[in-house]
Amino acid sequence: MFRNLSRLTPKALLALSVSTVALAMSMTAAHAQKAEPCIAGSWELSGALAHTGLAIRMGIETAVDEINEAGGVLGKKLRVVALDDQGEPARAVDNARRIAEKENCIVMIGGFRTPNALAIRPVLTEMGQPWMGVISAGTRVTEWETGKNEWMFRTSMKDRWVTPFLLDQALERSKTKKVGFLYEATGWGQGAVPDLEAAAKAKGVTIVGKETFNIADTDMSAQLIRLRDAGADTLVLYVVDREANAILRSMERLNYRPTMVSAWGISAQLGQTAGKLTDGILVAGTYAWTGTLEPRAQKAWERMQKKFNLKHPGELVLPSGIANAYDAVYIIAEGIKLAGDFDKKKFRDAMYKVKYEGIIAKYDPAFEPKFDRHDSIIPTHYKLLAFHNGNLMRVEQTPYAMKK
Amino acid sequence: MGEILQYFLTGLSLGGIYALVALGFYIMWEATRAANFTHGDIYMLGAVLAVVLVELGMPLVVGAAFAIAISALTGALIERVLVRPFNTDANAIGWMLTTIAVGIVLESATTLTYGPLGRSLPSPLAENAIRLGGAGFYIQELLLPIAAIGCMFALEAFYRRTTLGRAMRAVSFNRVTAGLMGINVNQIALYAYGLAAAIGALAGILIAPVIQAVPTMGALIGLKAFGVAIVAGISNARGVVIVGISYGIIEKFIEGYISTGARNAIGFTLMILVLLAFPQGLFGRKEVTKV
Repeated sequence: MFRNLSRLTPKALLALSVSTVALAMSMTAAHAQKAEPCIAGSWELSGALAHTGLAIRMGIETAVDEINEAGGVLGKKLRVVALDDQGEPARAVDNARRIAEKENCIVMIGGFRTPNALAIRPVLTEMGQPWMGVISAGTRVTEWETGKNEWMFRTSMKDRWVTPFLLDQALERSKTKKVGFLYEATGWGQGAVPDLEAAAKAKGVTIVGKETFNIADTDMSAQLIRLRDAGADTLVLYVVDREANAILRSMERLNYRPTMVSAWGISAQLGQTAGKLTDGILVAGTYAWTGTLEPRAQKAWERMQKKFNLKHPGELVLPSGIANAYDAVYIIAEGIKLAGDFDKKKFRDAMYKVKYEGIIAKYDPAFEPKFDRHDSIIPTHYKLLAFHNGNLMRVEQTPYAMKK
Repeated sequence: MGEILQYFLTGLSLGGIYALVALGFYIMWEATRAANFTHGDIYMLGAVLAVVLVELGMPLVVGAAFAIAISALTGALIERVLVRPFNTDANAIGWMLTTIAVGIVLESATTLTYGPLGRSLPSPLAENAIRLGGAGFYIQELLLPIAAIGCMFALEAFYRRTTLGRAMRAVSFNRVTAGLMGINVNQIALYAYGLAAAIGALAGILIAPVIQAVPTMGALIGLKAFGVAIVAGISNARGVVIVGISYGIIEKFIEGYISTGARNAIGFTLMILVLLAFPQGLFGRKEVTKV
């Protein structure tokens, strides 16, 4: 055989080599598309954001347990592979490679931080790894500047859609139509500024004051005095618990009590730590586990309660994130069923055909092959939650709902 | 007028924290010519321990006392294990690394055991704000500058009127001579670190009812308090408290009249400029070395 090879002309030899390499590559690629029946995550399981990783695990494991008890997907039980990235983008990139190569899971689920999701975009493209976000709301996670997002989907809120929602709610409640903006000096907070300005311009209103603060600031008097003096009777907030507590304390000092409409950085825990000061704060979200739940959500809550030793829905610090994760797993399961195989590319293509009714919304369809529709939760699904007696509840269950 | 008073009052409270934590650096430096660079995390530890002990059912005052005692022991332990073995001669700097490292360990361990989210320390003095001349404050906050000034006078009295205090001063003047005179220098260092940690923990406990106790609350405070101690001249308790309180007030006025974002940049720049003009610190004196 080798003697025959040596008789080939250089051109024939080159053609043979190219075709051999191409055959090998196509075989490798075909092999790489076959995936394991596992859902893998790179989450913040330790460090300052460990509560977010736990929240995601709660939603995902609850849904996976339900699916497996009902027989699994395509006859196979789903596994959960949880990797810790401590909120660091570099670790998220390492984890994404491991999930795509070693674990070879059919889908990866993202964590809390948008920078981590942005950092793994090239890896997912390179490896052909489907990804589902359940919390990180950065617009650019699914709406790529290049317009070439093929692998990243999201069942969560999207900042570009959140700010108009918040502004609508703020204007609806503002008596003077003077709305101020108070946000943290991070990528998340600063990223919302152009979105809010665009939303205000579209509605023909002006944001009367924009104030920022640093992480770990403990007093917001200066910012609030300026917003008060600008006449803002309603504030849009991009803030998390610790600084929200500082804002509330400073408002109490100044006796300045504007209506507050916040993005979902505020967790249910604020109600326990800041108590009555939180009453009336409105928070954008997708779901609340308090009050009377639909039978299916009630079952999910009871399972979660048992598995994670919870006493009260108030212990679910990220109620919307947990519900997102829960619905995301069912959407993934539907996608696999439609794909008919644990094949990453077929699964990705099937995601555009998924129609499913979850606990948050009826996803009809979940995704569309369009620039801005790799997000299954659309603005009409957004809900307004409110703090009342220290609990974060659906606004309809509180005195803070608008009377129609 | 109301806003000027507001910035002054909140600055007074913030400055009280800087002053108390900086006093700890002063005490440690006087005893060993070294310091626990994780002192900011001791401030955090005091607050977190008080929250946990109160949650376990202890009355606030008892829980606070235990938290201070445990923090003092931690401070003494840090001196014994992480400073003393690495501070064997005048040029030794190993203690910097060891104390910074233990700070990271302390913060991580607290996050793992206590959790990453803030918890409040209930105090009747932080329930309702009191309003005065268009400004507002919590009585709890005013305890901080009062405690700083109180600690400063108590320290001065302790250094002048007690045997142990005099021994500490002797060590601060000349460690070798003090040792030759029969003073147990190592024991003095141990007490000094314990005392510094107790004062740092007190600051954390006093502010926790207003800002919540979180594992990450100490790092920046520790850094700024160290800056305050250096700018003051580190060897002068009155200077440390005056600079600490003033720095808190200056920060609030920067926030109010210049920019919130510029606060740290302008604040640290001011520190550098002061040190350029007064290399020994505002209240420091040039040390005379016989050659």
